[in-house]
Amino acid sequence: MPSEDLEKIARNIIAEAKRAGATDCDVTISTRSAVETTVRMGEVEKLEGAQMRGVEFRALVGHKSASTSTSDLSASAIKQMVRDTIAMAEASEADPYSGLPEVEDLCTGYPELNLYDPSIAEIAVERKIELAMAAESAAREADSRITNSDGASFNDSSGAFIHANSRGFVGGYQGSHVSLSAGVVASKDGEMQTGGWWATSRDFKGLESPEKVGKTAAQRALRQLGARKVKSQEVPVIYDPLMAARLLSQFIGAASGAHIYRKSSFMVDKLGEMVANSIVTVIDDPLMPGRLGSKPFDSEGMKCQTRTLIKDGRLETYLLSSYAGRKLNCKPNSGSVGNLYLKPGDSTPESIIESVKNGLLLTSVSGMGFNAVTGDYSMGASGTWIENGKLAYPVSGITVAGNVLEMFGNIEAIGNDLNFRSSTVSPTIKISKMTVAGE
Amino acid sequence: MAKSNTPAKSSTLDAHVMSAEAALHDRFGLTYGQLQKVIADAVKGTGGKNGFCDVFLQAGSALGVSLDQGVIKSTSASHTSGAGVRVVVGDKTGYSHTDHVTVGNLRRCATIARAISEHAVDSGNVPLSPVSSVPHDLYAVTDSPVGIELKERIALLRKMDQLARAYDARITNVTVGLFVEDYTVIIATSRGDIMADKRPLVRLNVSCLAEEGTRRETGSSGGGGRFGFEVLSDETYWREHVQIAAKQAIDLLGATAAPAGEMDVVLGGGWPGVLIHEAVGHGLEGDFNRKGTSAFSTLMGQSVASKLVTVIDDGTIADRRGSLNIDDEGTPTGRTVLIENGRLTGYLQDKQNASLMQSKLTGNGRRQDYRYAPMPRMTNTYMAEGESSPEEIIASVKYGIYATTFGGGQVDITNGDFTFSATGAFLIEDGKITRMVKGATLIGNGPKALHNVTMVGNDVSLDKGVGTCGKDGQGVPVGVGMPTIRINNITVGGSKS
Repeated sequence: MPSEDLEKIARNIIAEAKRAGATDCDVTISTRSAVETTVRMGEVEKLEGAQMRGVEFRALVGHKSASTSTSDLSASAIKQMVRDTIAMAEASEADPYSGLPEVEDLCTGYPELNLYDPSIAEIAVERKIELAMAAESAAREADSRITNSDGASFNDSSGAFIHANSRGFVGGYQGSHVSLSAGVVASKDGEMQTGGWWATSRDFKGLESPEKVGKTAAQRALRQLGARKVKSQEVPVIYDPLMAARLLSQFIGAASGAHIYRKSSFMVDKLGEMVANSIVTVIDDPLMPGRLGSKPFDSEGMKCQTRTLIKDGRLETYLLSSYAGRKLNCKPNSGSVGNLYLKPGDSTPESIIESVKNGLLLTSVSGMGFNAVTGDYSMGASGTWIENGKLAYPVSGITVAGNVLEMFGNIEAIGNDLNFRSSTVSPTIKISKMTVAGE
Repeated sequence: MAKSNTPAKSSTLDAHVMSAEAALHDRFGLTYGQLQKVIADAVKGTGGKNGFCDVFLQAGSALGVSLDQGVIKSTSASHTSGAGVRVVVGDKTGYSHTDHVTVGNLRRCATIARAISEHAVDSGNVPLSPVSSVPHDLYAVTDSPVGIELKERIALLRKMDQLARAYDARITNVTVGLFVEDYTVIIATSRGDIMADKRPLVRLNVSCLAEEGTRRETGSSGGGGRFGFEVLSDETYWREHVQIAAKQAIDLLGATAAPAGEMDVVLGGGWPGVLIHEAVGHGLEGDFNRKGTSAFSTLMGQSVASKLVTVIDDGTIADRRGSLNIDDEGTPTGRTVLIENGRLTGYLQDKQNASLMQSKLTGNGRRQDYRYAPMPRMTNTYMAEGESSPEEIIASVKYGIYATTFGGGQVDITNGDFTFSATGAFLIEDGKITRMVKGATLIGNGPKALHNVTMVGNDVSLDKGVGTCGKDGQGVPVGVGMPTIRINNITVGGSKS
């Protein structure tokens, strides 16, 4: 559905809601078409194609609010949804902090961020199959120890969305995503290890080559063959870029306003305080053209801006939605992040590994052992053990544990290997000391 | 392998066919004849390659309300109506769904789904018919939970909030959430079956924040199942959860760091059964075993656990969150013994994988919703009880951990490594519980760790009904369970080395 039509529906919903007694309201409408192409062992395994659409509508009656989501965009269904939502709000109870953003915080005019590649819709299914096949065969042919495959996929999706509210905000844009992934199994002497890799891009030509995706998947499976446990000990731990990004996401998640006003975070009362070593700077930049996390305005229609969240180790700001802003009596700055990254340093990943006499290069974590209230952290881990500055042997069946505030305080080296392959990214980081549990 | 195209007819089945046709008309304004034509065209389009087609239609609502910091924080409704069309030819699958069910859109979906047949050869395999076509009747619900007035739901949250705050002055915030849903699903297949199921589900969560000085801890609890709102709103039901959450938050204020390293571990009954879900359950799902990517792929019939261990997946337990009258392919759910006295005995199957493996159809074909094709998934998975008392199990441990609550887990299917994360645990010294320690992740290897189960309790229980299992980005409600067990030499990921 063209975005003009979505805008018309959005405006109708707002007008209808005002007529029906809402004092304020907002609505998000999205449509998306997606195709998933999966191959396995050199044959097409699965083809999926679908068109999706959805509306999310929120009505306020004074300080009472309610929201409804539906996929039925027919005029009669929308009318019913508006009435039912208002009735639900009326039957609910008031929250004095509820409401839309103030008009001055709403986005007015935004840059073109190149988030949509129209050529994606033109790619023939045969071409998608070829690309997935190429990624899988690059992985399977990489080494004779690659004996099985979880398959490879080429997925794409394109869509449009509109957000509008009763305070005059209407904004929308088109977006696209394309991704290529592969997963294979390496085996030796009855042991099996799986490894996978993927690439994602807003535009087709920005996608990593199938050969690179496949070979990386194979390497990741192969390097875990022969993994063993180590003794329990305290050692330096190097987080590779993927693991560092995951840790960064957990760390910054605790600075979300909703955690702060509920006091359910180790970041409470830390504004302006040192929360990391002084070499750590963390930036959120939603306005980078063409990046995966880019967006011109946030989910409430508020302006997006580049924010330094942690500067030289000091916490500069929380992530504040309009609700959190009112609760904490602060100016809101958006409760979500766009492109979140830890600023790269100047060490090469190799030199960081060379700096470790006895420690762990962490390449995979598992489990849910992170507590945002206390910062306590304990995860299943696998990776490569480092001896005298050299990668020595693969390890698995161990855990790494600490407290994330202490861990960020103990970041003593940051790599120069930042790559915006996801919306949250980090270079390699070295934490000087963590507890590894093993035998 | 059964290849009959005419399903066994019984009077019970006919009654269900009638109600499925009525639901189809009522929820989607379609006739069974229209649906059959879409399916017939899809199969014809596969050019005689023994293609199979099914359509999964889903309609219903989910309602949520939550209370936080003493105010109603969110009140929401979500209405769902859609259908997915699947075409299977051998090991190949085509799938397409629509958010707007009309005959035209279903036809479009069928055209997209049957395109898979161009990439398939006739494997001669068509999905098996279920042993029984008679659905269970497992949900005792008279009034749909989505029909309960908002005021009534809010009143329950208020009572829980008050009780939690009265528990201890150090409880400084309480969050309570109540979620109810009711979906009708209809499954029609190219074998001429049509089945329907109306699936109520309710869930209650409570979380308490305790503060003392600068120390903060949270405790949480929750429960639910496929039953009516009246079960949740019964005072003894919600009171128990409030007390568990509040007590856990207060107790954690005094907890110290967990030790790190290999030690003997006692797991309490109920929710710690997440161990079984991760260490065994996922690895026995048919798809991974057909493809040979599971650590259990070559171990059928072999010893994978101590003789004390028997593991069962059972989707037929009345009222449970993981139970279903029929799975999402229309097969009545079953009870499958996965491990019997330590020996591997069964896989969990959907139609496609059962057919390709010439294995028994177990009623484990599940999906998150109509936007996804089904795959083999667990229902309620638990370890059967043994003979030891929980007290003697704890008393048998010289130095170790007694873990009773878990946040969740994860498994690497291929190498068998699993982790599960305790939210609260106790230290055992000389057979006695001495103090509470903070949560730690426990890690082990599925095919190896269960050999180290040395004692199994006589107190089996299932979790309280809040579990959701994720696989390939799809979440489905499940149950887990276990008696108290002792397991030797598990690595405990504490921070105190």
